[in-house]
Amino acid sequence: MGYDYPPPIHFSSRISPVIVGIFLFIGSEIMLFGSFFTVYFFDRVVNHTHPWPPPPYERPVFVAGVNTLILVTSSFTMHWATQSIKRGNRAGLQAGMVLTFLLGLTFLLTQVIEYHRIGFNTSDTSFAATFFGLTGLHGCHVFVGLTILLAMTIRSFRGHFSPEHHHGIEVGGIYWHFVDVMWIIVYTTVYLL
Amino acid sequence: MTTPAHEDTHVDHTDVPEHGVYVPPSGWHRWTYPGWLRVIWATPLFGALGLGLVVLLRWAASWDPIWKWSSIATVELTAVPLGFLVGLGGFDYWARYCSGKPTLPEDHSRHGARSWRDYFRINTDHKVIGVQYVVTTMTFFVIGGFLALLFRAELAHPGDQYFNPQTFNALVTDHASLMIFLVIIPAFAGLGNFVIPLMIGAADMAFPRLNALSYWLLPIAGIMLLVGLAIPGGGPSAGWTCYAPLCQHQPLGDVFFNMAVQWAGASSIMTALNFLVTIITMRAPGMTFWRMPLLVWANFTTSMLVVLATPFIAGSQFFVMFDRVMHTNFFEAGNGGYVIGYQHIFWFYSHPAVYIMILPGFGIISEVVAVMSRKPIFGYRLMALSLLAILVLGFSVWAHHMFVAGMAGWLRVPIMVTTLLIAVPTGIKVFSWLATLWEGRIHFTTSMLFAVGFIFCFVIGGLSGIWLGAVPIDIQANQSYYIVAHIHYVLFGGSVFTIFAGIYYWYPKMTGRMYNERLGQLHFWLTFIGFNLTFFPMHYIGLQGMPRRVADYANRFGGINEFISIASFGLGASTLIFLYNMIWSWAHGPAAPNNPWRGLGIEWQVSSPPPIFNFEEVPQVVGSPYEYGVPGARHVIFGAPQPEPVPAD
Repeated sequence: MGYDYPPPIHFSSRISPVIVGIFLFIGSEIMLFGSFFTVYFFDRVVNHTHPWPPPPYERPVFVAGVNTLILVTSSFTMHWATQSIKRGNRAGLQAGMVLTFLLGLTFLLTQVIEYHRIGFNTSDTSFAATFFGLTGLHGCHVFVGLTILLAMTIRSFRGHFSPEHHHGIEVGGIYWHFVDVMWIIVYTTVYLL
Repeated sequence: MTTPAHEDTHVDHTDVPEHGVYVPPSGWHRWTYPGWLRVIWATPLFGALGLGLVVLLRWAASWDPIWKWSSIATVELTAVPLGFLVGLGGFDYWARYCSGKPTLPEDHSRHGARSWRDYFRINTDHKVIGVQYVVTTMTFFVIGGFLALLFRAELAHPGDQYFNPQTFNALVTDHASLMIFLVIIPAFAGLGNFVIPLMIGAADMAFPRLNALSYWLLPIAGIMLLVGLAIPGGGPSAGWTCYAPLCQHQPLGDVFFNMAVQWAGASSIMTALNFLVTIITMRAPGMTFWRMPLLVWANFTTSMLVVLATPFIAGSQFFVMFDRVMHTNFFEAGNGGYVIGYQHIFWFYSHPAVYIMILPGFGIISEVVAVMSRKPIFGYRLMALSLLAILVLGFSVWAHHMFVAGMAGWLRVPIMVTTLLIAVPTGIKVFSWLATLWEGRIHFTTSMLFAVGFIFCFVIGGLSGIWLGAVPIDIQANQSYYIVAHIHYVLFGGSVFTIFAGIYYWYPKMTGRMYNERLGQLHFWLTFIGFNLTFFPMHYIGLQGMPRRVADYANRFGGINEFISIASFGLGASTLIFLYNMIWSWAHGPAAPNNPWRGLGIEWQVSSPPPIFNFEEVPQVVGSPYEYGVPGARHVIFGAPQPEPVPAD
């Protein structure tokens, strides 16, 4: 009874399990954001809070807009890094990873400074609750994304990943693109509408 | 092609630069090696770090008081379990990967159980994890049931006997939370963990390390709920639904509920994700979706529900936590919050959750009924499609828990319609089981008795459910013992009976030993009778107007409540037979044959218990899993010429 090694693995799908897994995980994440959007909708629309934001609070639309551009740019550098390793271009991978990480870090630090100077606190009405809720939840995702990017960057400098063996980059990249797209939705909802 | 996710199943790593060399620990290195020695120092270390972080932050920001226990408890209930998991080695592989170190090659020494000690560590074998799950959930089943007996003792007579109302509410809350989050949902995850990779012909789950980690989150959540009971000021007492803003004004124990739900939820999302990826990518050649056993279908749909709905309860608990710790106003009406927003978000998870708690049970019953009736399952495709119908409809019925909560009036009728509609796919399943039984050669083994008992109880619970789905009746019966009767007929007579059926059915496969059939049948009859005597009278007192979740009640309900309490003690005692049978047989039972029930499923074609890697070679699926009584029918063949493996990328 019992063999020393498992039988050769058989895959019933053409997509690799890690890729299926990260997409399902993102589905779950979208629902988590969904619950935060739901409570935002309740507090703003169902409760007829008008005007929004309730005076005297104001939202820093311009600074956050510039920050949005920074995060969108990081998605392009991430894509560049992924394409580079697929073509075997290690310098491109390393440069792309470093740029993406720095842009993400800039975004997060800008958001911290924005929180500091915004003029209201978490306890100021449900407007502040939903504002900090949605942007804070997204900020946590940026933090997690940065942690993943850091690990990918370190490994890319240690000579890991190759044109045939780059799921680590691909999965992290998909997550980072998700964080980016989700920010566009959060920015539109929380700052612009 | 080698991909990072499948390193477990590959033998030769020497050409991959990412992998280091495995060196077993010795001397003081054993204290830094993953295991209980490292737990001993990592857990207090993380606890101290969490405490220090909160207190220093509050001191630096000169917030008053510095020792704010609700904030400290929230952080500690994250930090201490994290320390435990780090100590046990839940993150070792990923930590090495993330820091750029070479990862340890999988030498399979951490895979499979060679002694009982292997069940008490991070183990990547899905069969070990399945047993860990089932044993853990049954332990919490006993504890949760004991809590129920405690408050049944209080309810035997009107007036206050043993517990004050706060403690009574804490017992009710913990009973419900343990039974839902620590017993029913993870018990199905455990049974699924054991049999699903076997059923689809895979060597293991898609992500074995994630699987191990998601199991170990579970005891953390359970212990948290139990510790919450002992907290000064009283345990979590706002009910398992823990409605805000009520729960935000509860004593400290409520923080423990809040965090325990997060840990249990994370565990079930990770497991569900693993199931989905396993079922999508790891099926044996020939195992098309329309050849999958119905338990696999059931776990597939359940896992979809878990992945998509569980984030909503996570969200609801986050809002409560923010309201408590950061003084936000998500639900406080005075500051622009929407009071019943919590209920909407909570039930948007918790209604799909009742299907999470029953769909895998449907799958188990389909397996048992087909095998024990020696007939093909009736309406296989419709059985699978009705699961998908429940999956979709399940998201559209949440507000029937809120007919009297003061929600928008126009929402009532649409929700009533979808609620009544969801009875249709469920009815399809019940009639399919009955049609399978029809003119079958039925073998009344213990698992079959539980399956038939399940159909009986679930139909009663389903009918009262349809009744409650109608708005006018719900307005009358709301918050009464009628609800208690309904929920126990679908969750005890429903889900728990299917769990018992599943445990008895796969017990020979899991342990390699046969249980005592006579004791099993005795257990069924005592449980079945005790259950009906306990919960059926609750329909009556509920309609007479006895409210639930209250420690005291009007004198006129006295006699019938005494009867219910006595019956509930009998029901509790019947579990002792189950425990005795399971534990004794595991040690001393006769060796189990490979296929005691003459099943066609792949799990019955391997030895009992299965070999560590399940199969010597990948099996080839050639037909339906349910062709019982069809001459020459085969579901699976071993040793067939292998088709070219499909590349992963």
